[in-house]
Amino acid sequence: MKLAWKELIRRPSRFLTAGGALTLIVILLLLLGGLLDGLYLSATAAIRAQSASVIVYSADSRDSLLRSRIEPSTREQVASVDGVESVSGFGIALLGAEIPGQSDLADVALFGYEAPNARVPAPLPTGQVYADRTLQDEGVAIGDTLLLGPAKTPVTVQGWVQDTAYLFQGGLWGDAETWRSVLAANRPDQVLGPGTFQALLVTPHEGVSPQQVADAIDGQVPGVSALTRQEAILALPGVEQQSSTFASIIGVTFVVAGLVVALFFALVTLERVGLFGVLKAIGAGSRRLAAGLAFQALLIAGGAFALGGVLTLVLAQVIPPEVPLQLLPKRAVFIAIGIVVTALIGSAISFRRIVRIDPASAVGGS
Amino acid sequence: MRLAFAEMRRAKLRFGLLTGAVALLVFLILFMQTLSSQLLREFVGGIENQSASVLVYGEDARRSIEGSVVTPEQVQQVSAVEGVGEAAPFGENSFTVRTSSGELKDATLFGYELGGPGEPTTLSTGRLPERDGEGVASAGAGAGFAIGDVVEVLPGKYPIRIVGIADDASFNVQPTLFVSYPTYEQAVRAQNPDAQAILPTLVAVDPAPGVSPEELAARITAEVPGVEALDLATAVASLPGVASIQQSFGLILALAFFVVVLVTGFFFLILTVQKTQALTLLRAVGASTGYLLRNLLLQVVLVTVVGTAIAGGLLAVAAATSNAGFQVEADPVLVVTTGGAVLLLAIVASIASIRRVARLDPAAATTRPTGGGLA
Repeated sequence: MKLAWKELIRRPSRFLTAGGALTLIVILLLLLGGLLDGLYLSATAAIRAQSASVIVYSADSRDSLLRSRIEPSTREQVASVDGVESVSGFGIALLGAEIPGQSDLADVALFGYEAPNARVPAPLPTGQVYADRTLQDEGVAIGDTLLLGPAKTPVTVQGWVQDTAYLFQGGLWGDAETWRSVLAANRPDQVLGPGTFQALLVTPHEGVSPQQVADAIDGQVPGVSALTRQEAILALPGVEQQSSTFASIIGVTFVVAGLVVALFFALVTLERVGLFGVLKAIGAGSRRLAAGLAFQALLIAGGAFALGGVLTLVLAQVIPPEVPLQLLPKRAVFIAIGIVVTALIGSAISFRRIVRIDPASAVGGS
Repeated sequence: MRLAFAEMRRAKLRFGLLTGAVALLVFLILFMQTLSSQLLREFVGGIENQSASVLVYGEDARRSIEGSVVTPEQVQQVSAVEGVGEAAPFGENSFTVRTSSGELKDATLFGYELGGPGEPTTLSTGRLPERDGEGVASAGAGAGFAIGDVVEVLPGKYPIRIVGIADDASFNVQPTLFVSYPTYEQAVRAQNPDAQAILPTLVAVDPAPGVSPEELAARITAEVPGVEALDLATAVASLPGVASIQQSFGLILALAFFVVVLVTGFFFLILTVQKTQALTLLRAVGASTGYLLRNLLLQVVLVTVVGTAIAGGLLAVAAATSNAGFQVEADPVLVVTTGGAVLLLAIVASIASIRRVARLDPAAATTRPTGGGLA
């Protein structure tokens, strides 16, 4: 290891190419991962925020919140299904909001809800809302009265909630009456009858799994589609396809990283065949030399990750805000582990050559 | 040229790895280009390929079609603006429809005044709707509509007969049905019987002869309160998601191109440095600089061309196995142009190697002990 370390320190230029290429690949991976996370989190936050683990839509809505309608009679049927602890109504309206002191409107998703969830407390009195923190960037402040939609329906912001956006629009959370009055004033084609909601949020009894309850609701209540929270997230438009596409791109990029490491270590090993021959002649085993090579790959991958990480953070500052990039520590750890493992696998390609080096070549034999 | 081939034959691992890396990187570039252009087409095709050259949004919509509502009074006011040839309400909404085969699908309905602005412009088969209850469907493997099919808008089971198919007319990655405005209104009522009123989403406008869409859009925005008018190109570019898709993919593509150039350039540079003694000897025994450079460039070209060919094959496999709901197309023109760009960049990246070969001094061979010279 000491020899491998000294070589890295004394001849850094030898490893600069592999390090440089890997650094760029790390940036590519972090940006791809950041985009995937940004797209996923911004689109799904409102559903992830729910503490209810089952979400019920009308069957012919194809699990689209905007198209779903659940009548009060259906709600009663759902509430009477075995294993159901509680049921609450949930609805949404996507609108533009006029913010005091701002010339630009903000896109908002106004949620009408009946019960607190994991991130939003119990509903405020009619006309008052909690606002998602992302709206702070648009100029919203606590106490502001926002004017929603073309009818400019006023709602007053009373507090912040975190991570509750829906399809990239900042969430506003108000009681069902607030939501209904905003719909009536601004989206008359989306108005729902009294007691009718777009979806139901169902909490199962303790000890009953969400899947069991969802299956029971599907089986006993006609005209509905009950999904677990995770299924509801994946049912959001484009989320599943987006995730699988980006995961494939990230996978291919990891393979490219492995090939690049393999390629450059093959070249570096070739350069050092004579040196390795001498080392073998004076007693260094193939295993030791291979371990040194793996150690170098590990350090290069680690260095590339560190440098790539810093450069990505810098890059993230200049990327336009419209790009939904979210750099998360969890993703960074995944990429760090991935790049190190890939580099180790890539460097292993050169082990065969090291094993085949004949110590006799050091004295001119071959 | 035999030298180039012989070296590649004898160093299969090195050239194989480089070709593999180039192939995967080019595949990534091709795949992402295909994905972004396909995604954009699927996002905006329906709006891009309708006939109105000016679209008028509700002011609070922030240029989002889903967020826009205009009042009948605003439609009238837009019609009265000087320079408007024709203005008509245009509706957009997403629905669940049941196809003739009984399958449930998501679909976007565009309602326009028959014969007026907003009709589809890329009709490939069939005809445009002539009466209420008829529709033109967007083409595409995932759309699944055929002429003569009757689709039902759920839950009210409002029927629409497909009379034509239009290319590149999807919207928000969903199949689209262009129908008459009254049909659109009926469909909204079928979906939500509680609806209090059906308001137009936009006003579709054709300028009078001699008036440019840009000029007319500015005039409508200035004269009609509560609306924002955009010419079609601006409307398409401003649709939510378009800019972020373009910027995100642009950034990733630029990085991927840079990695290809870096990997290829440094590979040949390292190889040239490693071969310096052998190349010097070749120069000393009469090989010209041109001969060595031709061999170097041949290797660059071979690696890039083979890599691009493999990448094209991988793209074809990805296209063949892609989901019917979002069909990826392998475009040979894209493969050729991207391959050409990568080849050009690879040659540029090899300049350092080329310079090194060009500067070789044959006399140096006599000073190298391993070459038989005197140090």
